[in-house]
Amino acid sequence: MMYLEEAWRVLLANSVRSILTILGLIIGVGAVIAIQMLGNNMASAVNGMLSGMSDNTFVLFPNQQQQNVRMAGIHLGDLNSVVENVPGIEAAMPVAFLTELVHVGHNTGRYGISADSPVSINGTPILYGRGFTDQDITSNANVTVISNPAYHRLFPNGNNPIGQSIYAGDYRYVIVGVLQAPHSGLLPPLFVHDISIPWTTYVAQYLHGSTIYAARFVVSDPSRMSALEVAVINELRALHGNAAGQEYQSFDKAQITQGINGIFNALTLIVALIGAVSLLVAGIGIMNIMLVSVAERTREIGVRKAIGARSSQILLQFFIEALLLCGSGCAIGMALGLGLGELVNQAFISKLTGSLLPIPWLLALITAGSFAIVVTLAFGTYPAYLASRLDPIEALRYE
Amino acid sequence: MNDLRAIDLRNIVKVYVNGPMELEVLHGVSLGVDHGEYVAIMGPSGSGKSTLMNLIGCLDRPTRGQYHLDGIDVAQLDDNALAEIRLRKLGFVFQGFNLLGRADALDNVALPLFYAGVPVRERRRRAMAALADMGIADRAKHKPSELSGGQQQRAAIARALINDPAVLLADEPTGNLDSATSEELLQLFSRLNAEGHTILMVTHDQQVADHANRIVRLRDGHIVSDEPSRR
Repeated sequence: MMYLEEAWRVLLANSVRSILTILGLIIGVGAVIAIQMLGNNMASAVNGMLSGMSDNTFVLFPNQQQQNVRMAGIHLGDLNSVVENVPGIEAAMPVAFLTELVHVGHNTGRYGISADSPVSINGTPILYGRGFTDQDITSNANVTVISNPAYHRLFPNGNNPIGQSIYAGDYRYVIVGVLQAPHSGLLPPLFVHDISIPWTTYVAQYLHGSTIYAARFVVSDPSRMSALEVAVINELRALHGNAAGQEYQSFDKAQITQGINGIFNALTLIVALIGAVSLLVAGIGIMNIMLVSVAERTREIGVRKAIGARSSQILLQFFIEALLLCGSGCAIGMALGLGLGELVNQAFISKLTGSLLPIPWLLALITAGSFAIVVTLAFGTYPAYLASRLDPIEALRYE
Repeated sequence: MNDLRAIDLRNIVKVYVNGPMELEVLHGVSLGVDHGEYVAIMGPSGSGKSTLMNLIGCLDRPTRGQYHLDGIDVAQLDDNALAEIRLRKLGFVFQGFNLLGRADALDNVALPLFYAGVPVRERRRRAMAALADMGIADRAKHKPSELSGGQQQRAAIARALINDPAVLLADEPTGNLDSATSEELLQLFSRLNAEGHTILMVTHDQQVADHANRIVRLRDGHIVSDEPSRR
């Protein structure tokens, strides 16, 4: 292809100028692709952390800012009433935790002990043993599921701990399961703890009085989550005599996901803005240099026309030159962006999740390709048109 | 009968319009050139010979008058059609050679074939043959900057002839050459003419013009004389 060959010659003949011209595109495309990779990996990391939360539960707790916190406090007895009176609520249990010194032989550690249930535990991957069963709950069993870090601390020799006992304060629990995942840093500590025991056991052993910090409700239909949250709050208010100013906050997976998606949507918007600005700046630079190129080669254009080149052929030649300029800038930018994104992901994000998304070749290719085409069309067309419209007599006379 | 002539200009008038100013450069020039002729056009600057050359070269259109090139009425063709005529029917040789500096001699000579849509192997083959005919086949891979003035002009002639044009137009072809090289080049032109090429040359140098068979003199937009050369 003669046009491409010609374009290469021109760009190589002015190599420093060419590189400076496409620097804007290289940086713009590189930044957009790197940020895209980073954002996608962060989103996937956050979603991975949330995967432990089940879709069909929500948590309610009294708003701590309100004046009459005591009146709003949820009682253990409220839970049964809610299950009986609000259709769609399958189960309710307290959310509660405390910290306690835990030991196995000479190995000790301070850990949070939380009231859990099959619903709150069984979604997370298990390394050894099992999660909780309904039997554990109904019988107030002295059993526990412990986290991976706690297991490593309490059983440094790495034995299978199932069936062994741990001691916490005055009580002894038999280990029935070990969770695979490390303690999840993004989730509020009231949801996941290192030492999980059946919530009924927790109530029997630790709950003083009947007020609980928060309650977890299991719904039959996750799509009705918001409506059920409202229904439960209304029921709680009714149970407390509709005292003035009772306020509750609810907390479910969809809410968190929504919040996080909002953050990533904002990030995407910022990436798009960076892209648009760099596109504009780079495009102006390319247009400028193409205009210089056309002016410098006025005489050449005259010669080409004299020997029989049509205007469309001159147009195509300069257009391809602009395309090659933009294309090489975007290709270099893509390579740098992928490299930088992967580097940062390896260095930081992988520490958070332990795994990374595959390198998004196709996405990067589409991004870089569309940048090249858009910039060429928007900023290469006018100089090429000017070149094609030159009067051959004037152009031949040009010194 | 007239259709058989290489160039047939009838009452050509060229008026340049610049705002309210109108400048008539050619006042009804008629000129016929047969196939195989070797014509020199002479005239002082301002005589209109450049304008005439641009019209004959289909780089410009006459304001009035008729122009048939190799039997084709080209007086009022559009830009694309004129480009096609330049490509197929005309070969240009310039004073300043006007080779493309980035391309080697072979690619320069092959350029019109590219615009004519000839495949690359065929282009190379024919360009090589044209360079060989000009005696500079060994310089095919050299850039213009690596060629002497005479070699550059030979490459330019090879480029002009590559599409086997009806007329070879030369604008002061020896203007940038020393006298020995000029002489060689004029020998080459004579040879090309003897081989049947129609040549139209603009020059201000009587000695150069004397190599042609016929000399047309232009003054103030009129042809003032049209006679065989003294040779």
